[in-house]
Amino acid sequence: MMSNRTVAHQNALSQVFKRTEFTLGVIIIVLFVLAGTLTKNFTSAYNLTNLTKQGSIVGVMAVAQTVIIITGGIDISGGAVAGLSCMVMALLQTRTDTPFGLTVLACLAVAVLCGFCNGVIIFDLNVPAMIATLGTQTVIRGIVKLLCGGLNVTYTDARILDIGTGKLFGFIPYLALIWLCVAACVFIILRYTTFGRNLYVIGSGIEVARLSGIKVRKMFYLVYSFAGLLYGIAAIMLAARVGMAQPGTGEGYDMSAIAAAVIGGASLAGGRGAVTGTLLGTVLMVLITNAGTAFQIDPYILDVTTGVLIIFAVAMDMIKTRKKA
Amino acid sequence: MKIEHVSKFYPGVTALNDVSFELKRGEVRALCGENGAGKSTLIKCIMGVEHLDKGSITMNYDGEWVVNANAVEAQSHGVFANYQSVTIAPDLSIAENYFLGNQPTKGPFVDWSKMLEESQKVIDKFEMHVDPKAKIRELSIAMQAMVTISKISINKDIRLVILDEPTALLENDKVEILYRFVRELKEKGVSIIYISHRLEEIMDICDTVTVLKDGTYVDTLNVSEVDKDRLIAMMVGREMTDIYNIRHFDPGEELLRVENFSDSKHFHNISFKLRRGEILGFVGLVGAGRSEVMRALTGVEKRLTGDVYIRGQKVNIKNPTDALHHGIGFLTEDRRADGCALGLSIKQNINMSSLEMISKLGFINLRKEARRAEEFSKNVNVKTPSIEQLVQNLSGGNQQKVVIAKLLCRDPDILIFDEPTVGIDVGAKQEIYMLIERLTAQGRGVILISSYLPEVMGLSDRLIVMAQGAVTAEFDKEEIKTLTEEDLLRKASIEQ
Repeated sequence: MMSNRTVAHQNALSQVFKRTEFTLGVIIIVLFVLAGTLTKNFTSAYNLTNLTKQGSIVGVMAVAQTVIIITGGIDISGGAVAGLSCMVMALLQTRTDTPFGLTVLACLAVAVLCGFCNGVIIFDLNVPAMIATLGTQTVIRGIVKLLCGGLNVTYTDARILDIGTGKLFGFIPYLALIWLCVAACVFIILRYTTFGRNLYVIGSGIEVARLSGIKVRKMFYLVYSFAGLLYGIAAIMLAARVGMAQPGTGEGYDMSAIAAAVIGGASLAGGRGAVTGTLLGTVLMVLITNAGTAFQIDPYILDVTTGVLIIFAVAMDMIKTRKKA
Repeated sequence: MKIEHVSKFYPGVTALNDVSFELKRGEVRALCGENGAGKSTLIKCIMGVEHLDKGSITMNYDGEWVVNANAVEAQSHGVFANYQSVTIAPDLSIAENYFLGNQPTKGPFVDWSKMLEESQKVIDKFEMHVDPKAKIRELSIAMQAMVTISKISINKDIRLVILDEPTALLENDKVEILYRFVRELKEKGVSIIYISHRLEEIMDICDTVTVLKDGTYVDTLNVSEVDKDRLIAMMVGREMTDIYNIRHFDPGEELLRVENFSDSKHFHNISFKLRRGEILGFVGLVGAGRSEVMRALTGVEKRLTGDVYIRGQKVNIKNPTDALHHGIGFLTEDRRADGCALGLSIKQNINMSSLEMISKLGFINLRKEARRAEEFSKNVNVKTPSIEQLVQNLSGGNQQKVVIAKLLCRDPDILIFDEPTVGIDVGAKQEIYMLIERLTAQGRGVILISSYLPEVMGLSDRLIVMAQGAVTAEFDKEEIKTLTEEDLLRKASIEQ
């Protein structure tokens, strides 16, 4: 008993230092200071705004991904879902007289529906999440191309474009604001609601969850639909930033989002993950690209760096888990 | 084999402290101690899986004293073990598992016919009645345990066999087969280290017994010189005359009535009643359908026909959530698979199935959550420095208590305990028995399934015997007093 207490005490002391968030925070600060002092343009207002804008879309999708990874799943259809919702909204706005508010709602509804389908395929048809979402991703991409005939559709409504360029108080980009709001909401959901808690239980074991009276089927539908909703929000942000819906809108975002969540400490085995970690993971990924550019490092080398970082983050996680077991 | 002044330290914990003893050829040595006494650590050191911090472990191999620095060396010196947590490849066949890593070959190819033939011999020897091509995943847990044990006999050069809780998952008839295997090894001059929480077994099969307590060596005695109570006293440092001796209460009103319960293949026409304050024991061999009845009753699996009445009201339980809402708490057989979330904290585990009781509009009251976890973990006596501790860091007994605390949060009237004491130490077992006593004193009804006859006979007010999916006998309180284990087994193995 005595020895147990000592261990607990040591844990309490070193817990802060052992947390993924702490390590990430230190790396981010070091990178920031280095880039800020050694390069000219890094700390310019323009670059900092740009940095947060770059992070915001991946950031929202990474939050969605975190929620799914906590349940032990994975979703690689997020980029495609965002692409479809973005396209639907663009088509409604340019080719019909649908009121603006309804087009936004349609965008979100399409995304939620796609997410719900993922949930059904994964839970009821028992298809592994990776394969299920690979399938839906391909289907959705096909639908996007069918809808637009392979052509770009340009947004003309100023209300969309304003989101991409507008700033609160003149210095906080709306995009970054949306990102932070989404992160804050999900943070609260995961920490304070039964829905959030049950996600962790499902990630620890579906049978455990079921026998504890958690309605697992409902939870699967909910969690994938919820992720869909966040993809829909990301779609609006994409529309705002790019100004048009392209057949390939959103491509590549899923992988960055998964990477950000994993770097932030979410475990693909399920049961572990937090919004704070994901937030920092996203910042770190964007920072590497951005600071790298400021240092005038070859962007291809930056790709290599990010890849190594992902492997390193997961390897560290595995070492930690193995030690505990 | 000699074990000299062995110590092993983990961060913050001394797992073994200056342990020494010797083992002779052909000796069957029991290793006894509560969970956390250091048995498993010692075994890992002998197998070369863990390294010693102090002391040495050497074995006489054809006149030469050798050290096993790693698992491969240990195997080449003829040391084999069945690991407590079943370590076999679930998607491979029995035959493939037997020959994992040293398949018989014909040129560069695996000699399948030889492999199957040899496997069949082992399967026959252990009377397992299965196809060597059967996948491990399709076997019952008990059969999987048999595979890990029988796998040892595949090896040619066997010097030392370590059996770690070999009978934890086995039925009585299989235990006999295991005993035969142990005796056969002994005759060949193989030394055996036998670890079991079931002290009766140690009395039956072992020559000598070494007791460990909190990582230190207590004593080694001849089995003929000790009795069960003395052993328990040595292990826990306190006297426990009869651990099954709990207070019983006069049963009250009817809580649960099950009528004509059937599913497609595991059981048929099962009817029984449970009353307030009563402990109803279920006895039967593996495959008799006891757990399946309970799983169907609590909505975990589907049933075909049958009605359930709770306090006289007919209820329709379609899933585990319904069961919880009707006041049935179900402690499953395999706590690691479906009882607790190992990666989450004690606090989260205890509150897991009753979050809505402490929430408003989906938002959890964090203070109530913590208070409840404190209260219930104290109530069932979970030994932990903090409720934030992850459940995977607890011993088996404490994990079990956490799961029970989780069930108690919903204040259920009916508790179903399926093998509640598998793989937990004597001290924790007694605590669970005391808890059962307390629950019945509060007027709850308890259904107890146990493959361990002394336990289920000692605790139950009434016994139901099942064989091949049907009830074959029922005994009331008076009858249990004069009942012997042999009588029960006969009822449990009736051919239909």
